[in-house]
Amino acid sequence: MVIAHEFDYRRPASLEEAIGVLSEYPGSARLLAGGTDLVAWLRDDAVAPDVVIDIKDVPGLGDITLEGDILRIGSLVTFTELIESDLVREHAPLLVEMAETVASTGIRNRATMVGNICSAVPSCDTGPVLLVYDTTVYLAGPGGERSLDINDWFIGLRETALSDDEVVTRVDIRIRHHGGVYVKLMRYAGEDLAQAAVAVAVYPDNEYKVAFGAVAPTPFRSTRIEDALRGNPLDDALVADVVAMVDDETSPITDMRASAEYRTRMTEVMLERGLWEAIERFAGTGTTYGVRLI
Amino acid sequence: MQLRTTVNGEDWTLDAAPADVLLDVLRERVGVKSPKIGCERGDCGSCTIIMDGRTVRSCLVLAVEADGHEITTVEGIGYNGLNELQSLMLGNNSFQCGFCAPAIVLAATELLEHNPNPSRHDVQEALAGNLCRCTGYEPIIEAVLSAGGGGAE
Amino acid sequence: MTTTYPFESEATSDELTSVGTPAVRIDGLDKISGAAQFVDDIDFGPGLLHAAVVESPHAYARIVSIDTSEAEAASGVVRVATGADFPYKFGMYMEDRYIFAQDYVRFVGEQVAGVVARSHREAVQGAKLIKVEYEVLRPLLDPKSAVADGADLIHPDLSNYTHVPWFFPEADTNIAHWRRVRKGDTERAFAEADYVLEDTYHVPRYAHCAIEPHVTVSKLDHADRLTVWTASQSPHTQRHLFAEALAPLGFAHKDVRVITPYVGGGFGGKAGVSMEIIGAAMATLVKGRPIKLRWTREQEFYNTYQRQGVVAELKVGVMNDGAITAVEHKLYWDAGAYVEYGANVVNAAGLSATGPYRVPNITNDSLCIYTNLPPGGPYRGFGYSEFHFGLESHMDRLAEAIGMDAVEFRKKNAIVEGDELAYGAHMNPSGLHEAIDKTAAAIDWGVEEQSDNPNTVIGKGMALFWKAPAMPPNASSASFLKFNEDGSINITVSGMELGQGYLTVMAQIASEVLAVPVDKIRVETPDTDRNPYEWQTVASHVTWSSGLAVEKAAVEARAKIFDVIHQVYGYEEGSLYLEDEEVKCKTDPSFSKPLREFVIDGIQTEEGTWRGGPIIASGKFMPEFTNANSDPATGQGGHPNVHYTVGATGVVLEIDKQTGRIWVRKAALAVDAGRAINPDLVKGQITGGLVQGLATVLYEDMRFDEGGKMMNPTFTDYKIPTAFDIPDEIIPIIVEVPQPDGPFGARGVGEHTMIAAAPVIANAVYNALGVRITSMPITQEKVSMSYLEKLKSEHKQ
Repeated sequence: MVIAHEFDYRRPASLEEAIGVLSEYPGSARLLAGGTDLVAWLRDDAVAPDVVIDIKDVPGLGDITLEGDILRIGSLVTFTELIESDLVREHAPLLVEMAETVASTGIRNRATMVGNICSAVPSCDTGPVLLVYDTTVYLAGPGGERSLDINDWFIGLRETALSDDEVVTRVDIRIRHHGGVYVKLMRYAGEDLAQAAVAVAVYPDNEYKVAFGAVAPTPFRSTRIEDALRGNPLDDALVADVVAMVDDETSPITDMRASAEYRTRMTEVMLERGLWEAIERFAGTGTTYGVRLI
Repeated sequence: MQLRTTVNGEDWTLDAAPADVLLDVLRERVGVKSPKIGCERGDCGSCTIIMDGRTVRSCLVLAVEADGHEITTVEGIGYNGLNELQSLMLGNNSFQCGFCAPAIVLAATELLEHNPNPSRHDVQEALAGNLCRCTGYEPIIEAVLSAGGGGAE
Repeated sequence: MTTTYPFESEATSDELTSVGTPAVRIDGLDKISGAAQFVDDIDFGPGLLHAAVVESPHAYARIVSIDTSEAEAASGVVRVATGADFPYKFGMYMEDRYIFAQDYVRFVGEQVAGVVARSHREAVQGAKLIKVEYEVLRPLLDPKSAVADGADLIHPDLSNYTHVPWFFPEADTNIAHWRRVRKGDTERAFAEADYVLEDTYHVPRYAHCAIEPHVTVSKLDHADRLTVWTASQSPHTQRHLFAEALAPLGFAHKDVRVITPYVGGGFGGKAGVSMEIIGAAMATLVKGRPIKLRWTREQEFYNTYQRQGVVAELKVGVMNDGAITAVEHKLYWDAGAYVEYGANVVNAAGLSATGPYRVPNITNDSLCIYTNLPPGGPYRGFGYSEFHFGLESHMDRLAEAIGMDAVEFRKKNAIVEGDELAYGAHMNPSGLHEAIDKTAAAIDWGVEEQSDNPNTVIGKGMALFWKAPAMPPNASSASFLKFNEDGSINITVSGMELGQGYLTVMAQIASEVLAVPVDKIRVETPDTDRNPYEWQTVASHVTWSSGLAVEKAAVEARAKIFDVIHQVYGYEEGSLYLEDEEVKCKTDPSFSKPLREFVIDGIQTEEGTWRGGPIIASGKFMPEFTNANSDPATGQGGHPNVHYTVGATGVVLEIDKQTGRIWVRKAALAVDAGRAINPDLVKGQITGGLVQGLATVLYEDMRFDEGGKMMNPTFTDYKIPTAFDIPDEIIPIIVEVPQPDGPFGARGVGEHTMIAAAPVIANAVYNALGVRITSMPITQEKVSMSYLEKLKSEHKQ
């Protein structure tokens, strides 16, 4: 649809200016980075802001750097830039594996990982992966900068801890040796939103982080499954135990994309295959990141 | 609002409302017709243009975002004669109705610029966002692989 | 082998120079360079107006009132229209449709009003201001409910509708047409059969998904001439339907002009008339200004033709030796709210629902049933894909039941030249056995393959297909041909280049006859003022029909060329031939006259005067052996179908037992093209059709809610193939058993290549997992959950 609603467009040249414009339009502003969500919503008449604030000219938000054991990813970094980054591929390969499943090249060239977690749809791919990493989100607002643990980011259906007057500036990931998977249930080999998703990261001493996407109102970690796995080497019985927890841990819906029953069943399959692959990758004997498990 | 952009090497100064979408402005005001209206949601890829060297879905870009940026479409790519990729696609009868062709040429062009010797999987990946209902993709993939020098699997 | 063709069709295969070659498409450069112009690309200047429509949110309702006052006053709005402005019925084979809904809306999305405004944005905003009050009624959303006792009549006036003589509506029901075929005695045959299998198959609706949406620009000029630019498969039929629908306003055919440039895919969805009538009609209200109406992708899904759904009840009887003795095929079609075109799908399917087999006893019923869903209409395959799903699944099951190999079973019963068809006529020459053998060989049929991956299993499947063009018995094609000063040729036809390569094939035919290279032949897209008649570009018939018209025009041009040469130089016409753009003489090897020297200017005689002048020619073709006069009770007596194209499809699948994911490792498809005028383009139809067919069975999945609203009218949720969703290997096989009355022996293949895709997958899934799925689509989820069910029930035993 043509965009029927009219709005102002501002392109601030600095972070301070961006925050200033947000304050000029309290509650009726939308930030524009890649735009692959926002422009679609504008076209669908799903949102009607008074102003669209294009932050692509704000300096310092587009870098990927490694400082000690912290991988810093600016909020304007696109999925393509993640995929092409040697730093990300080496230190946070799950981000690359996940990014390669998002839409298509033409979308990935614009869409940002941070935009993905700000839109926070239940099937958002980035959520489960950031949840299995040690991730901190940095925000800037009129009161200055603050940081948020990723576990406090998703607070409800399409709702995040980002306030109306704030801008996400970057995401930090504390890097440790790990192996992991991002497994995504799609309807076919072509691009698709996740009908269910599983992210697993295994760290030294059998520490596991396990997160799910598209099977609850938000992406989430299952501490129950993580507790059962913690400290234990993987064996068939342990895997069967945690797979049996999936049904209780998840709350998928039945919609036109998939039934709740199939989503649950596939989440069990993805978790099982994912766990085994994760420890192989930890040991350096697994498949290359990007090889699909389902 | 005023925006300045370069389209296929030509400078343009245009007036656009914030709510004007780049695809429509290119087609209606600049007169470049090769990016097509197919779904207006970024699903079909037929609106693809190259902006600053990368393919983007122009149906999901506001016209004002193009201010200060460079746009290339297939009219610009083949202006001085078909390039090797286009010649191979022509010779291989890669396209049928042709509606998706300009966008696919751009997607393949971007691929070959970043990955001069792509594998079949690489080609499929690069084209996966461009829907073609006619060809079943095989003759397109063949031509892109030839342009890339055969393709390592 | 030489076969005699009509119209002096040409030499043996060895001597052909253009026909049979994989020529580069003559529209290829246009499309690769961005030059190709589609309707939405044409500039109409600053005066262009834009239209938007108001659509019904209800599947079935009475329109109580429409208040357009706010819209009329809105900024930029030029005109508003409702059904009251156009209280006329129209339709392709039956007049049951309206330009805007009259009194009732019959499907979610049906247009109720339209707004014309100075900008697209203002048209959309204006449309939002129109207030419609409805009395909501209970919709009928499936065919069985619609034929149940006491069901509401969606078209109470059905008996008064004008229709073609070969349709048989049932008064006071929702059955708009009932095609009955009765042959032999199925009751006795079933009683005597060694084995009888009965089951029901469910096939839902599908969407065409051409990447170019429907679009039309219409202009009524100040001299009251209506010109409509449309993305259409059928410019002449559109002109005809516009003239008929608008006749009450005083329009006749001469007052209407339809122009159709390149079309971005049709697949049947751009045949007939769907949304274009809205634009054409609204133009009559705003004189002197062109009005663009372009459908969004959502409207493309729910407010254009859809492929009908069908519930197929099939009963087949066989003997232990494999002979099929009886077929009882009852097809309940979900034909939608208006069936003016879709009823012919029902008709075509009913006549041929035995499949490509020799069947002595037949009871087929094909019912076109009104439902409160979008209008069903033509879609690649025209009813054949829909009934082949059940039929070819059934054939595998029968073979297994009597312990016979599925391919051997099919070969035993495969129809051959001369066999009697269901309706009494006889089967044309065709290479079905060759197609079956080559396809089976291509997938190593009979050799079981094991998977290396513990999660997956490998299965193989085969299925056959056939189809005849479904057309009125007098559908015709025509062509004009002219030479230019440089010896190049312009051909005008009204067939459409949808992507199938039609323009190139016509050029190759003319090239063969006139010895002019293909790249010196232009074939021009239609303008009904200038290009001669073509019924429609549908039915996979234009290679045959329009090909014959072009061939005849080329032959006439050749005759005129030889006549001029004879007049000036004295050589007998029978001694002349064309080669490399020159006239040559068999009896005088020293003679050669380049065409470009005289095809416009003529030839100067010794006396100094001139002979000849511009070489122009025409050709037309209409079959003179068809008739649709069949007995309504038995279907016998007519010759409704010109000929059948046959073939076979085979696949090798790898299936993940847990997820249900299917990889098509190999797909082979053999089709009997009679003569592949351009083998590359035939392969293009094989590849493209196969992928589209596989999509319908593997993941295209149209969903409606309880209110009859389509839930997934976007590519986000109605999945069509991407470059990742293609078989690992496609093996195209071209069989050539000539069609005696075809141009150089050719017959059509455009639709056929998708017809067997659905059952071949069902058969391969059964082969791999032992699960028989009788409803489409056969998605990952369905495979996974069906297999899980099977394992659970086996575990219980």
